[in-house]
Amino acid sequence: MANNNKWARILVYAVLIYAVIYYLLPLYVMITTSVKTTEEIRTGNLLSLPMHITLDAWRKAWGTACTGVQCTGLSLYFWNSVRMVFPAVIISTTMGAINGYILSKWKFYGSEIVFAMLMYGLYIPFQVLLLPMAQTEGYLGIAGTTPGLIFVHVVCGIASTTLFFRNYYVGIPDELINAARLDGAGFWRIFFRVVLPMSLPIVMVTFIWQFTQIWNDFLFGLVFSSGDSQPITVGLNNMANTSTSVKEYNVDMAGAIIAALPTIFVYVVAGKYFVRGLAAGAVKG
Amino acid sequence: MAMPALPAARYPNSELEKKMGALAIKNVTKSFGDTHILKGIDIEIDDGQFLILVGPSGCGKSTLMNIIAGLEGPTTGEVHIGGRVVNNISPKDRDIAMVFQSYALYPTMNVRQNIAFGLETRKVPKKEQDEVIQRVAKMLQMDHLLDRKPGQLSGGQRQRVAMGRALARDPILFLFDEPLSNLDAKLRVEMRTEIKQLHQRLKTTMVYVTHDQIEAMTLGDRIAVMKDGIIQQFGSPQEIYERPSNLFVASFIGSPSMNFIDCHLAEQNGQIGVSLQTDSDARFLPLPNGQRLAGRVGQEVILGVRPEQLDVAHSDDNVAAISIKVNLTEPTGPDTMIFTKINGKEVVARVHPRDAKGPGETMRLALDMSKVVLFDPKTELRLE
Ligand SMILES: Nc1ncnc2c1ncn2[C@@H]1O[C@H](COP(=O)(O)OP(=O)(O)OP(=O)(O)O)[C@@H](O)[C@H]1O
Ligand SMILES: [Mg+2]
Repeated sequence: MANNNKWARILVYAVLIYAVIYYLLPLYVMITTSVKTTEEIRTGNLLSLPMHITLDAWRKAWGTACTGVQCTGLSLYFWNSVRMVFPAVIISTTMGAINGYILSKWKFYGSEIVFAMLMYGLYIPFQVLLLPMAQTEGYLGIAGTTPGLIFVHVVCGIASTTLFFRNYYVGIPDELINAARLDGAGFWRIFFRVVLPMSLPIVMVTFIWQFTQIWNDFLFGLVFSSGDSQPITVGLNNMANTSTSVKEYNVDMAGAIIAALPTIFVYVVAGKYFVRGLAAGAVKG
Repeated sequence: MAMPALPAARYPNSELEKKMGALAIKNVTKSFGDTHILKGIDIEIDDGQFLILVGPSGCGKSTLMNIIAGLEGPTTGEVHIGGRVVNNISPKDRDIAMVFQSYALYPTMNVRQNIAFGLETRKVPKKEQDEVIQRVAKMLQMDHLLDRKPGQLSGGQRQRVAMGRALARDPILFLFDEPLSNLDAKLRVEMRTEIKQLHQRLKTTMVYVTHDQIEAMTLGDRIAVMKDGIIQQFGSPQEIYERPSNLFVASFIGSPSMNFIDCHLAEQNGQIGVSLQTDSDARFLPLPNGQRLAGRVGQEVILGVRPEQLDVAHSDDNVAAISIKVNLTEPTGPDTMIFTKINGKEVVARVHPRDAKGPGETMRLALDMSKVVLFDPKTELRLE
């Protein structure tokens, strides 16, 4: 029995350690490569530690690398992404919260159909949207701008944010809303005073989800932005595709890490809420 | 000389003359899809009356409360409060305070904020809010809980807070959905008295759901006994206790429950009555003014006898008496319950402990035949 247990344990650890290595190895390669010189990369081993650490590649990726014809690094793209991601996340999360609140607590005739149709939005491949969306943006006069990109992300994010909030709010007992109604509170007062204060876990989940989706998006960034509004994913792509005499793996790696840092940061800071929020949604009765 | 006709406005119609909190429920039904929960409820009480709703779990009491509060609309029928139809008036404008069965406390607010929320919404000045909170906290013995969140309270404490939240307001109608069900026995009795005093002081109309016999009997001016979405009987506590309209009401109200003895209605020496048989005796007991039942002689009836209507027979009593064999005794303190068999049915008598005999012994019990009730075994209705 005890022996059995021991072997089971060893097996579990072996699997876990394998998984850890599997996921961490690429990160290790990225980080070590980004602080090596081109010379060392060319002569050395992919897995070897850097002989002397240099941040030249990082500086170049951030400030001077060529992305197509211009050579200003990723910094402009990075700030484009920042300017785009926060409004897009905040607006789509807010709309999801309000939709979820209505679809769970203020049901109206046909609200189930509205919800079902919204959920249909989860299954539409975004490629299908490209043409009609481009047309719509043209009509609205926001094509190729940051507001235009925000618009696309908000529209495409509403289905999932609504689903998150609606499912969370279904778990809040209706009697709580009824009590507040008898206390004289209306739609918004109940939302802000009773429902929203209970929503921290799901707000965090939605925030992280949307932030990751929007920050990492490449398709919409490529199609619906131009020149000075392109996000970091497009910038990174341009940088990696700009042909130079020698392939600068260290600069590419540094650029890739720069592009990934904000989502990593968000997970580290808010990750515990993410797990807690998912759990809360599951057990709330 | 004929009186000159006065403008109509001087003579408001009787509907409008009814005071603030009078409640009338007229033929209210409620269905969720194909499930019919309430099947035609009619209840009418005056302003200031205390209405008790009792009935088994799932019979629709909470649903009816929600309809009165306006939280759910009736499928058909009307709700009148203070003489006007309120079907289309939103809950917040009905001026009702309610204690929910599940307490429904705001989890992110502490007790103080929970109580204050309704006052804030109704724009009660801050100073007045504080006074109200103090008063309510003192009444419900929860001064020390004011800064806690509902999650940090026990079930009974939460229930008190829910009560406090309702009592902080001064509405025209209180709705209490089993407000004391989770309190310990002592606090429950205290709170019951407190509610009764409160009602006498405020004279606000109250509707109160309970499973507790004593709460129902002591608090109510009117009791509505419900089953399967139908009002079985609606009347004063005494009426319901003494003249239950059917077997269900008779067995539901009263603890220990009424004894039901199957017997034949018979006629002997020109008197109509029932024959009872025990392990040690057999008697014909005539019914006072039994003549009204002349048409039923020879038929089966169910004799309903409350335990306290079976008392020890003293020799000079001018009442029907029968000797019985004691099977079991249950002393409760003030009374002792005697278990025996009459006509093959288990029967409980409530006697003074001093008079109680032990198991196996025989004793003579007197039946107060003027108070017993008879039911038709088929329709289960009480025979008038
Ligand atoms: N929204 C709803 N949809 C469908 N059925 C419902 C709904 N609300 C209540 N019911 C049903 O209506 C019936 C009456 O419920 P209600 O809560 O009024 O019972 P109750 O008399 O208050 O019972 P208890 O004493 O257990 O509180 C139950 O069978 C319940 O399942
Ligand atoms: Mg109920």
